[in-house]
Amino acid sequence: MAEYAFRKIDIDALDEDTLLREDLVEPDPRGPDGVLADAKRKSGEVRTAVAQNNIAGALAAILSDPPYGADVDEARALTISALQLILNSTRSSEIAATLKNLTPEQQDHLMSYLYKGMAGLGSKSGAGGEVSGSVLLTWHEKLTEVAGVGCIVRVMTDRRTL
Amino acid sequence: MLQLERVREEKQLMRQSNTLRPYLNAVRATLTAALTLENFSSQVVERHNKPEIEAAASPEVLLHPLTVSRNESERVLIEPSVNSIRLSIAIKQADEIEKILCKKFTRFMMMRAEGFVILRRKPIAGYDISFLITNFHAESMLKHKLVDFIIQFMEDVDKEISEMKLSLNARARIVAESYLSTFA
Amino acid sequence: MSTPEAFQLSLGPLTGVAFGPDRTEVAISPNNNEVQIYKKAGETWDLQQTLSEHDKLITAISWAPQTNRIVTCSQDRNAYVWTHTAQGWKPALVLLRINRAATCVKWSPKEDKFAVGSGARTIAVCSFDEENNWWVSKHIKKPLRSTVLSIDWHPNNVLLAAGTAESKAYVFSAFIKNIDSKPEPTVWGERVPFGTICGEFSSPAGGWVHDVAFSPSGDILGFVAHDSSVNLVYPSSPGAPPQALISLRTSALPYLSLTFVSENTIVAAGHDCQPVLFSGDESGWAMSTSLDSKSAAGKPAAGGRVVSGSGGGPGRLNSDAFNAFKTADSRGQARPASSAGSASGGIEVGADGLLLTVHQNSITHIEAYEWGSGGSVSKVVTAGKDGRLVIWDVAGKK
Repeated sequence: MAEYAFRKIDIDALDEDTLLREDLVEPDPRGPDGVLADAKRKSGEVRTAVAQNNIAGALAAILSDPPYGADVDEARALTISALQLILNSTRSSEIAATLKNLTPEQQDHLMSYLYKGMAGLGSKSGAGGEVSGSVLLTWHEKLTEVAGVGCIVRVMTDRRTL
Repeated sequence: MLQLERVREEKQLMRQSNTLRPYLNAVRATLTAALTLENFSSQVVERHNKPEIEAAASPEVLLHPLTVSRNESERVLIEPSVNSIRLSIAIKQADEIEKILCKKFTRFMMMRAEGFVILRRKPIAGYDISFLITNFHAESMLKHKLVDFIIQFMEDVDKEISEMKLSLNARARIVAESYLSTFA
Repeated sequence: MSTPEAFQLSLGPLTGVAFGPDRTEVAISPNNNEVQIYKKAGETWDLQQTLSEHDKLITAISWAPQTNRIVTCSQDRNAYVWTHTAQGWKPALVLLRINRAATCVKWSPKEDKFAVGSGARTIAVCSFDEENNWWVSKHIKKPLRSTVLSIDWHPNNVLLAAGTAESKAYVFSAFIKNIDSKPEPTVWGERVPFGTICGEFSSPAGGWVHDVAFSPSGDILGFVAHDSSVNLVYPSSPGAPPQALISLRTSALPYLSLTFVSENTIVAAGHDCQPVLFSGDESGWAMSTSLDSKSAAGKPAAGGRVVSGSGGGPGRLNSDAFNAFKTADSRGQARPASSAGSASGGIEVGADGLLLTVHQNSITHIEAYEWGSGGSVSKVVTAGKDGRLVIWDVAGKK
């Protein structure tokens, strides 16, 4: 066994020029604490906006500068639960109009959260437990109509994991 | 009584095909977005050209994997990279019979993977069947036809398994009837 | 609108496309280790010569218009410079000193050097060494940490733009002593020894930079990335942040190639299979039109969108009688199972199962083909993975 264990050593990792996964992302300039404070404030805003039936405003608030990167699990969970509230309280006839008002960047972020929600459905332990698959699929379909497949490509390429 | 059961089974099948459409649409859109491949020579091993998604040696050429799911048990995982994508399907298995049918069916296909060109010999963990599409496939075949093929496969595999299950039940029914009729 | 001219040169992808000085000759590689030279004869292109020296896939070709030399590079880590003699094209090996695939190559505007991008995280800038009678290279290594996917030369023959798989576009100096005279200061930099980084730009959502291009004046840098973005950089002064960095997040599939038509217009093409015109200035850019208006493609107009349906493929028994028998056999029913099929998607497909665009697969190369009287580009040419070469009219399009 021992004589060929050396074959498993990843020699490329020892090269100082190796590109690591961490190097591809620049950390959030706000820092973990700033991100958390931001997320708390926004999720509060969303709850008031949803109560006043202002879906467009709520969606725009939650989708601008979302938390990303490592060490922001709490902020991420807050953002996701606020978004779930929006997704569940929007009537399906209003979805398309709401989506059109978002900037391309916000649309990309929303798409990213939709995929995250769908991934959570399968794992059960994940965060997507509160939104049903058909709601997510409806939003996905509408968003693809509005923002095109380019939006999906950007979810794949973006290294800033939301 | 038996008739009722069959009606219920078929109704369930109908209802599913109504929510199937947005699911397949989402898979189609995601797959179209992922099938943007190019020829990419390995930057780790010289003079090699291998599917980066399988080699996983350079993080910058791998993209974020995406999941499209309809419910807890039916989902598709698409893992894109610069020159290849891996698509894995979890097929709905409501009960033991469907589980057995699904296992036999996918096993049959995967043992003949060469014949299906893009089929992977082994599914990745947590899924029932996987496909591996490389840039060479996307070059020699029309991209939109590849997408059509996968979508049609997903439609057919559900239908096939439900049908097999219905057939199995029907056969069991016939056998039971003819067997029990001797005691009537 | 005139119909684009399409030529089917190969059945597989065309990798590396370069036109000869008078644009009646083209060098392509049909996705293997050979270069084929075609000459235009009326309405067709005829194969003239096949150059085979490489032993792996050829990734790029560049043809110098004034000195009439071809440089080819390949995944076998080599590059050759081909010169035309009475007996045909003769190769000369270039000492690239790279240990991974060469991915892209381009002659500099003055044709006294060329640059080769590679998977070895290196750009080799090659020049001719008179003493030894061969081509030698100098490497740009820092700060590249991934495969170089694309390069382009600034009109001043010194600056070089590169796009990499780590989602960055760079502008370097490729100044070589004894070959280049001291360049005039530009907006990119004043004093530029070899390897100076004059600019570093990221794509908005982290996509690989597929192609970079300088505008005709060299004062604008355009790049397209895998996040479906089209980006334009307007530098202000050396060392200062650019006065404008415009990133368009488009709704289409990623673009693979772009070329400037003028300072205010570019044409980009890629996985969407159609070239698209963008226009604008430093205050903003927008998509203006697709060159491929589907009805002009010379195809029978399909009656609306026809979705490629499910149903019996060839060789499949799917007749009513067969189905009736099948259900009777397996379920004891006398009613055929309904074959419901619903499919839809973002891509328009014609009744014959082909795309409505002229190109049937991704476009990998685009360049200016013909210039009008005022020096403006009047025609562009695209080549794709479907083996087609298509010439498009851009004159008068805004």
